[in-house]
Amino acid sequence: MKNTRVLLAIIYIPVAFILAFAPVKTNKPNILSSDELLEEVNSSVQFVSPDEVADRIIQKDPFIQLIDVRTPEEFEQFSLPGAINIPLSQLLAPEYKDLLNQSDYTNVLYSNGTVSASQAWLLARMNGYENNYVLTGGLNYWAETIMNPEKPASTNPNEEIARYNFRKGASQVLGGNVTASDDQAGSILAAPKPPIKKTGTKKKVQGGC
Amino acid sequence: MSEVTIPEFRKTRYFNPYVGGVLLGVVLLVAFYISGRGLGASGAIKSAVVAGVETLAPGHAENSKFYSEYTESHPNGPLKSWLVFEMLGVLIGGFISGAIHGRLKLQVEHSPKITSRKRLLFALAGGILFGLGSQLGRGCTSGSALTGMAVLSMGGFISMMFIFGTAYALAYFVRKLWI
Amino acid sequence: MGPLVVYEHITQNTNLFFAFLIGIAFGFVLEGSGFSSSRKLAGQFYGYDTTVIKVFFTAAITAGLGLLLFGLFGWIDLDLIYINPYFKWSTIVGGMIMGAGFILGGFCPGTSFTGAAIGKLDAMVFIGGLLLGILIFTEGYPLFEGLYMAGNKGAPRVSEMMGISDGLFLLGLVLVAFGMFYVAEWAEKKFPLKEGTE
Repeated sequence: MKNTRVLLAIIYIPVAFILAFAPVKTNKPNILSSDELLEEVNSSVQFVSPDEVADRIIQKDPFIQLIDVRTPEEFEQFSLPGAINIPLSQLLAPEYKDLLNQSDYTNVLYSNGTVSASQAWLLARMNGYENNYVLTGGLNYWAETIMNPEKPASTNPNEEIARYNFRKGASQVLGGNVTASDDQAGSILAAPKPPIKKTGTKKKVQGGC
Repeated sequence: MSEVTIPEFRKTRYFNPYVGGVLLGVVLLVAFYISGRGLGASGAIKSAVVAGVETLAPGHAENSKFYSEYTESHPNGPLKSWLVFEMLGVLIGGFISGAIHGRLKLQVEHSPKITSRKRLLFALAGGILFGLGSQLGRGCTSGSALTGMAVLSMGGFISMMFIFGTAYALAYFVRKLWI
Repeated sequence: MGPLVVYEHITQNTNLFFAFLIGIAFGFVLEGSGFSSSRKLAGQFYGYDTTVIKVFFTAAITAGLGLLLFGLFGWIDLDLIYINPYFKWSTIVGGMIMGAGFILGGFCPGTSFTGAAIGKLDAMVFIGGLLLGILIFTEGYPLFEGLYMAGNKGAPRVSEMMGISDGLFLLGLVLVAFGMFYVAEWAEKKFPLKEGTE
């Protein structure tokens, strides 16, 4: 028995020493350097077009998540279907971290224009979070293109006419004319706001005795 | 001259404890690798109790706080749990080992200074205490202490210290039960 | 990457099946090491048989070292494994009650199952006691709830609370463990059972 103990000690103690001073591997997100961040900004990888977003909403894509980064008051007044509200000022709060730092959903950040959403994107990206995008042109552009699409002349290329038809259809589904009266906008656009659920924790293990 | 008997557990061969420990550690590691959790025991018995109460007294179970909270957090029912399946395996594994080593025997193991009956009474008392304690402590020696130590959990170490500490403290007073 | 069930390399049902297999291995090793004998288990507290401490701590450091090694090689995601929570008061009080149960009953839940599996009637009675003890808790839950929920500290690791790295703490644990093994072997010689020994 003593020999077994000694043998065990000879193996375990050195291994323990090595592990004590070995680098710790964590799954923390990869924080980007400024150069990397600049490169991404310059290549505009972070944008998604309203057409694409509208399409995915209509197709009922379960993996898209719209995030409204405006104030709660603005969010209450109008928001895109299925959007949740994470005000820019609270973007880095711990309760939202799992929503922004995850790999299952495509988060599309939007605001009235692109400034706030881009700021939000930068903050998230700086922390190494992935799968966050900015809605090109924000709600203003959305209103122009999806809600009130500009009817192309009949002489325009088919592509444009097709796009117009798509947008017209989309606007029907997504709530139509933004300039409509409050009633109509309110009832159609006040889709039930999904509760902010922690998508990250679905990976946690059930344990315990 | 007092009779010198060889206790049952000295008559049979067991694994070298260090070897057994390494094997057990490997089993524990495999559990973590596959299921993300370590071993446990008391939880399975709790599941049995809950299942029993829900079957025999469903009305009471719905009204009582503990059972209703338990049902909410265990949508698959109390018996479809990792621990229950594990403990069924333990019974079989223990049986196989006992069979291989020739230790299968219906008996009451007790020190020569007490009777079988007394041993059984104390076993019952010990079981009741341990059952209650395991619920308060959120685990027993397998789950909380052993597994807890492997993951370096605070709860595990504290649990371990108090279980063993109390047992050591009381050992002198109940020594007739064992030696 | 492990844990397999969390990364969905296996399903929940397969997981339960593995639980069963793991249980078989667990029971086999426990019984084979002598944990099916209450007198052997109790020996820990009188010095004549220190199997418990040897197996226990060897298993803990083996698994602990294994986990860190797996983590180092990227075979397991250490952030996702379950760490049991620490509720200060209920852990302490529960531990004390369990300690009393251990020295009186000579078993703990896992070992009582192995004992029962080979026919030990005292183990079976112990299991009966467990059922009753748990029933007392569940039925009397309102009485216990206060203590049960007090002092919730989350699920911290000791290394976190001490402000050192996991590896360093584990090293300390390994050294302490071997120190204890040395003492244990000394104790077995010093406190033998007065009955016949082999």
